[in-house]
Amino acid sequence: MTETVSTREATMAPPRRRNRMSAQEARTALVFLLPSLLGFIAFMLFPIIASLAISFTNWQLISAPSFVGFANYQRLFTLDPAFYTVLGNTLFFTLEYLVLNIVLSLGLAVWISSLKRGQRWFRVIFFLPTFTPAIAASVVWLLIFTPGGFMDTVFQTLALHVPNLLLDPKLAMQAVIIVTLWANVGYNMVLFNAALDLVPQSYLEAAKIDGASAWDRFWKIRLPLISPTVFFGTVMTAITSLQVFDQIYVVTRGGPGSATATLGFAIYQNGFGNYQMGYASALAWVMFIIIMALTALQFWLQRKWVHYDS
Amino acid sequence: MTANALPTAAARPRRKQKNAGLKLFLDILNHGALTLVALAFLFPFFWMVSNAVRSDAEVLAVPPRLLPTEWQWENFAEAWLRLPFGRFFLNSAIVAGGVTAITIVVSALAAYAFARLRFPGRDSIFVAYLGTLMIPQVMLVIPLFLIVNQLGWVNTYQGMILPMAFSSFGAFLLRQFFLSIPRELEEAALIDGASRLRILVSIIIPLSLPAIGLLALFTFIGQWNNFLWPLVVVNGMEYATLPLGLSMFQTEQGTSWNYIMAGAALSMLPGLVLAVILQQVIYKGITVGAGFGGR
Amino acid sequence: MKTTAMLAAAALLGAALAGPAVAQDQPVTITWQMWGSDQNDIAAWQHLADMVSEAHPEITVQLQTTPWNDYWTKLPVLAASGQLGDIVAMQSLRMPNFYSLLEPLDERISADGFDIDAFDASIIGGMSNDGVVYGLPYDVGPWMMFYNKDKFEEAGLALPQPGWTLDEFKQAAVALTGDGGFGFGVVPNGYSIFAAALGADYINEEGQLDLTSTSALAAADEFLGLVTREKVAPLVAPGASPGDIIAGRFESGNIAMMVDGPWSLISKRDTVQFEMGLAPLPRGEGDLKAVTAGSGFGISTSSQNKDAAWKAIQVITGPEALKYLAEAGRALPARKAEQTYWFDVAAAGVEGAREALEYSLSHSATYEITSNWNAVENLFTQYYPLAMTGSQSPEQTMQTIQSLAQSQ
Repeated sequence: MTETVSTREATMAPPRRRNRMSAQEARTALVFLLPSLLGFIAFMLFPIIASLAISFTNWQLISAPSFVGFANYQRLFTLDPAFYTVLGNTLFFTLEYLVLNIVLSLGLAVWISSLKRGQRWFRVIFFLPTFTPAIAASVVWLLIFTPGGFMDTVFQTLALHVPNLLLDPKLAMQAVIIVTLWANVGYNMVLFNAALDLVPQSYLEAAKIDGASAWDRFWKIRLPLISPTVFFGTVMTAITSLQVFDQIYVVTRGGPGSATATLGFAIYQNGFGNYQMGYASALAWVMFIIIMALTALQFWLQRKWVHYDS
Repeated sequence: MTANALPTAAARPRRKQKNAGLKLFLDILNHGALTLVALAFLFPFFWMVSNAVRSDAEVLAVPPRLLPTEWQWENFAEAWLRLPFGRFFLNSAIVAGGVTAITIVVSALAAYAFARLRFPGRDSIFVAYLGTLMIPQVMLVIPLFLIVNQLGWVNTYQGMILPMAFSSFGAFLLRQFFLSIPRELEEAALIDGASRLRILVSIIIPLSLPAIGLLALFTFIGQWNNFLWPLVVVNGMEYATLPLGLSMFQTEQGTSWNYIMAGAALSMLPGLVLAVILQQVIYKGITVGAGFGGR
Repeated sequence: MKTTAMLAAAALLGAALAGPAVAQDQPVTITWQMWGSDQNDIAAWQHLADMVSEAHPEITVQLQTTPWNDYWTKLPVLAASGQLGDIVAMQSLRMPNFYSLLEPLDERISADGFDIDAFDASIIGGMSNDGVVYGLPYDVGPWMMFYNKDKFEEAGLALPQPGWTLDEFKQAAVALTGDGGFGFGVVPNGYSIFAAALGADYINEEGQLDLTSTSALAAADEFLGLVTREKVAPLVAPGASPGDIIAGRFESGNIAMMVDGPWSLISKRDTVQFEMGLAPLPRGEGDLKAVTAGSGFGISTSSQNKDAAWKAIQVITGPEALKYLAEAGRALPARKAEQTYWFDVAAAGVEGAREALEYSLSHSATYEITSNWNAVENLFTQYYPLAMTGSQSPEQTMQTIQSLAQSQ
């Protein structure tokens, strides 16, 4: 690294030499970014551009593709009877799941951090589901939800008339949400819990002396201090839940009817179930635009609630 | 966790004595209630193991039995022996470990550039990075396979590892964390003539161990359970990973429910160990007065 | 042992091995795209691969296995990137979807005087598209009725016999239902098998899906009625594997009859803790039409070694190979003469197995399917539960599936 000397000079240098410093800094940045950029271009950018190109073809994987212009996009918005249902399902899932996930993971994180002992065990327990292989989660929940399975039996024993979740078009999405929460709430829980752990104890003690209740301490001190982390968790959770696919594939396969068919599932079904890669790619790009817009909205909203201490 | 508890230590004893009994009671209640929630979370695992140790014919009995009529602990050994699970474990460990190691190095470097260095196009590049998280992985599988095939990497470790090692999730996570570290900590070092790399390695990274631990944990687990990419890039048993192995219990002739459950339970053990170990890092905390909210 | 096998294989191949060309053949390695699950499975396929080298020392077959379910995800990816092996395993149900990846075999068959009639005709149909053969089959199986013999005896019912009718089947199902147990298990994507057995037409004369024809709707009404009217079959949720769920409930003794194929006979027989029996599917007014499924091997169009691959698939679907697979209980041979080896192993101890199979094979028919059959099956799995719970009528559901299947 050769910039050490000049950086040192630059810190105290007159304005003219600042330019040199920033050129230096840009060079350092390039070196730092290079490995990441190379991998990014080869294994991300290129495949992404390829998928954009594929979305303008009728590629069916087993036959040579031909260019079809905007036909896939046109079909999606005007012809496909399922598209708007799928879009609605996706937004419904994302909204309910995102709220539940953040509330639950934040709640668990705070709850765990309030414990005197055994914190580490509780963290591991709530994190455990995140490393269940998809196929195993699939089988376990299938055995729980299937008609005549564990859940039906429990409700029967308690003489409760709860319809089977997987058979009721109105309730099937709730089954997907339960499984997704179980499988993924651990990520945000660990993330938030680690952030809470870093909130200086001195702040809290000071507030305690001032007579702030636990409730106030959470809303006025802890939450603002961990808000960058909560923001990160919210953005990532929104991005992944708009793409939700695994749990749908595993639990309902989009049924009954189209009650739980989401965009992520439709992309898989069209691409790998029906081998219509062109159409699946078009769906993926529409999904990308939606996610991009919602993420931009979140970044814009963060100014209102995310607290960067400067 | 209590590294910063000093300032108010003097004020404590009096208040503590006053409510000691009530506090203890609330404490026990608190632990007890969370234990109940935890048990509910653990139920699917109980169900997994309970179904792993019964006969295949009993798995779908109606109504389901909570415990097997006949405990078949040998199912674990059976599942293990039916397929080269030792090999699968090794492959999964190499792939998940390789991806994790590369991801940490690459992400830390990139995140530092995004968080601290000024260069033209910084924000656009960062947004492009973020954007890649919004494209579903399934769409990238085929173009990725074409690349890996061109490189002659089909059925190799590098073919399994490298395409997965450049997710921008890591750069995003670490950048957010680096932003919260006070600049003053490095300014002194800069004035002393330390290089940026040196600052990253000796100041930023030690302060960011919790975030790096998280990234390691998330990446490792994500790759340990990754299914689609190994499926596409691996031929046969030699390089097959655990999720592919579990899938082998679903055949033309039907599903071996109990073996899937047994295999899955076994495959989760390394992740469990890792989670326990990494806790030490993630929750070590930083002893400096820098809060998470700093910039 | 090696020499004997070699001699036998050589003798069987006859024409293919004759002539001076053999001696001049360059050593060649060809790849074989196959599905396979546990070690035994893979060992069996490897054995077949070795048989090829014994018959043709210049050919080495390299086996590439993928788990069964995932094979169908991987195949198009490999095809899309030009990475398909020389030999490609294909199931009859996927043939209309993938035949374009495979070399037509008709010319090779007639040029070599290859005896295609030694195979079951229905599965040669299954390995064909538009009358052109694209693969040589190794196994064949008509769907049949698996039943729990113990339950029949408890209920004092006569065991089902070949030629039994839909009404007899329904009577038995009603008698077997009760006490939380069910007479039958309806698997949504089994509709077409059931409809075919009754002689209904769900595919029109142009080969297109026609789920709203009078007979197709009547069959759907019968099939779904087993759940909604007779209540002899349990509700099935949409999801990953309704067939596996029904199979599991059959194995646990909760369901007394289910439809399955001979490919799962041996594993089922070893899993269940009751006496199992086998009957053909019930027929409608006319004769039974027992549709079959099976698998075989084709030569990929992108292969550089088509001649070697052709030699190889003749060996791995040859009498020796099929006898080997049959004796291991792995597959009911597609070659009629070798089927007897399978009966001795897999059908042993299963009531009525031989009669049921022989009756079904003598009434066998090629399973008529469309090129997007996989999508159609998924739609059945997704939408039939709506008709089972009564949210939709069978007719509405059939119309929905029809229109969605056409839009894809």
